Amino acid sequence: MSELLDTLIQDARVWQGHCHTRTTQPAESTGYQVLDNQLGGLGWPRGALSECLLDAPGIGELHLLLPLMQRLCAGGKTVFWLNPPHTPYAPALAREGVNLDQVVLIHTGDESDFLWTLENCLRSPVTGLVMAWPGKLASREVRRLQLAAEAGSNVCVLFRERRHAGQNSPAALRLELEPGEQQDLRVNVLKRRGSWPGQRCSLALGQRAGLPFLETTRVAPGPWSGSGG
Amino acid sequence: MLWLYLHFPHLLLDHIRRSREDQGALVIVEGSGQKVIQACPEARKQGIRSGMRLKTAISLVPDLGMVRADEAQEARTLEDQARWLYRYAAHIVLVPPDGMLVEIGSLHKLYGGLPAVWQTVEQGLNERQLNTWSGIGYTPLAARLIARTGKGECTADKGHILRTLRHMPLLAAEFDEKACTRLQRLGLRTLGEVFDLPSNELARRLSPELLAYIQKIQGTRPDPRTPWQPPHSFRQQADFVQEIEHTQGLLFPLQRMLAELEEDLCWRQQDTDSLRLVLRHRHSEPTRLHIRTSGPEHRADNFLGLIRLRLEQHSLRAPVISLVLSVKRFLPREALSGQDLLGETQDLNEAWHTLISRLQARLGKQALRQLSPQADHRPERAWSASEVLRKTRAPLKQAGELPRRPLWLLKGPQPLTETPAAWFAGPERISGGWWDGQRVHRDYYIAQLNSGQLAWVFRDAREGWFVHGWFG
Repeated sequence: MSELLDTLIQDARVWQGHCHTRTTQPAESTGYQVLDNQLGGLGWPRGALSECLLDAPGIGELHLLLPLMQRLCAGGKTVFWLNPPHTPYAPALAREGVNLDQVVLIHTGDESDFLWTLENCLRSPVTGLVMAWPGKLASREVRRLQLAAEAGSNVCVLFRERRHAGQNSPAALRLELEPGEQQDLRVNVLKRRGSWPGQRCSLALGQRAGLPFLETTRVAPGPWSGSGG
Repeated sequence: MLWLYLHFPHLLLDHIRRSREDQGALVIVEGSGQKVIQACPEARKQGIRSGMRLKTAISLVPDLGMVRADEAQEARTLEDQARWLYRYAAHIVLVPPDGMLVEIGSLHKLYGGLPAVWQTVEQGLNERQLNTWSGIGYTPLAARLIARTGKGECTADKGHILRTLRHMPLLAAEFDEKACTRLQRLGLRTLGEVFDLPSNELARRLSPELLAYIQKIQGTRPDPRTPWQPPHSFRQQADFVQEIEHTQGLLFPLQRMLAELEEDLCWRQQDTDSLRLVLRHRHSEPTRLHIRTSGPEHRADNFLGLIRLRLEQHSLRAPVISLVLSVKRFLPREALSGQDLLGETQDLNEAWHTLISRLQARLGKQALRQLSPQADHRPERAWSASEVLRKTRAPLKQAGELPRRPLWLLKGPQPLTETPAAWFAGPERISGGWWDGQRVHRDYYIAQLNSGQLAWVFRDAREGWFVHGWFG
């Protein structure tokens, strides 16, 4: 019995407020040192569910995962995009050095197909990363996905709306994403295993649009003058 | 040459019984549906005999399973048997409707003697639960006569075979009716007595054809037979006595058929990636299913898993009366290429194919896509989606050559409804498509909207401002 308890504490499943245990759970570095530091020096947990909560696309949410994607594709692992809201743009991915042969796009019809597909992808040894955009998920279903993620050892990131931030979730890592002032991405850690939540950091992602860091706003007038917007 | 003749007294019955789960009484009725021609042991136990009128049979066993004899089906079933037998023997001759000749004289050395050959064939027959009468003879006709009288023994002794033939009654020797009567009137009773007649007298008094027949039995006249050639495809059919209404019921016969397919593929040393399944219904068009795996495959379990997934998605339109599994596309089996010392590459390849096949079976082929950039200036045409294929080539190194593009492309340009908070790069003029009528003339900008999203917006020469992508 005590052995069981030891494992629970070791895996940081039982959260101890008074002492900060360094967990040994497997993880993949996010590729952003600032964020890794906030996540206990680990990064994206493997074999567990992560959630990114955001309002709208285009705030740098894909760039948050890009270093991981690049690394996994180069290592021969497959990256699945499950029900993305828009088309992942192949020329941009190729430019970023993502091997497109390892990227598979899946569109599922109904919710049961979605869960089934996600579970199958998570259990396969070929999968490196699954990025999924579920429509609406009951908390029971998130739990089911968390169990499926535990069966494999890959990273699974669910992109959900920010209004779900208030609900509890069995995901191992929950990040709230907001756009910053300088085209940066503000990351707010809502939950992570083995430590207090509430860390915040900001990732400079201006380079995603070819903008040098902290460049002053430059208005480029169009060729048809006088009718902007 | 030494011939083995296999006589299948109730081939159709055995074939149908094999694809049934329950073992109820079953009979084959003749084409007109009046008479029972074959009855299974269960039916015989309850008093049904072949030759009995169908009405009598039904009154004996009310829940009798009935199948109408069908020549085409019988021929197909016979060919099925030739296909597996071909693995053991090269020279096979079909003798429709219910027999098969196998040349075994050349197999002695391979199997190590006649008893071993006999045993191998018997074992194959037992595995397939076929009732067979076998006979050995030095001519095809001799082997046939011995087999059909049920006197077959595992011996290549010429004297013994001749004795068996000589003792055979005239009625069993398959003469035509007229000749048989005439021979009987001459006071002859066994084949041996016919053999003893001088041949020129026999030809003169009876008929030259009869003499030819007798000489063919004895082997003094050549009796050439065309050997059977295996087809270049696999086809198996299961016929059901009772219509199957649930997909679950199809899995039992499928299991057996897929096992045969696996064996067949093993013998061919080939794989396949596409199975065709035809479900026949009594009153409507047959349902055709095409099951594809993403890579070469030969294992029955994997095929069954995929078919099960497919059938779960697909409810039966009408009860199924027969099921045909066919494979026409064969792929050479890849040699196991141990790319690294631990052979991990092979496992991953296999796992990849398994996963993709599973997903495709459930979601449909269109649900899975792979992306690739295309050489076109127009953003909506600068990418394409294609079927998922396992590629092992090295990724193209072209980073830096491509212009900066957003990671998200909208399915179509959306009207820009607000004035962006800030403007960054631009304009980038993209103009093209005059050559195929899909003309594009746009100035692209990168702008930040009030919500903080970085957008790829453009202004068309005519229609105003649109958002075309997000810098995700």
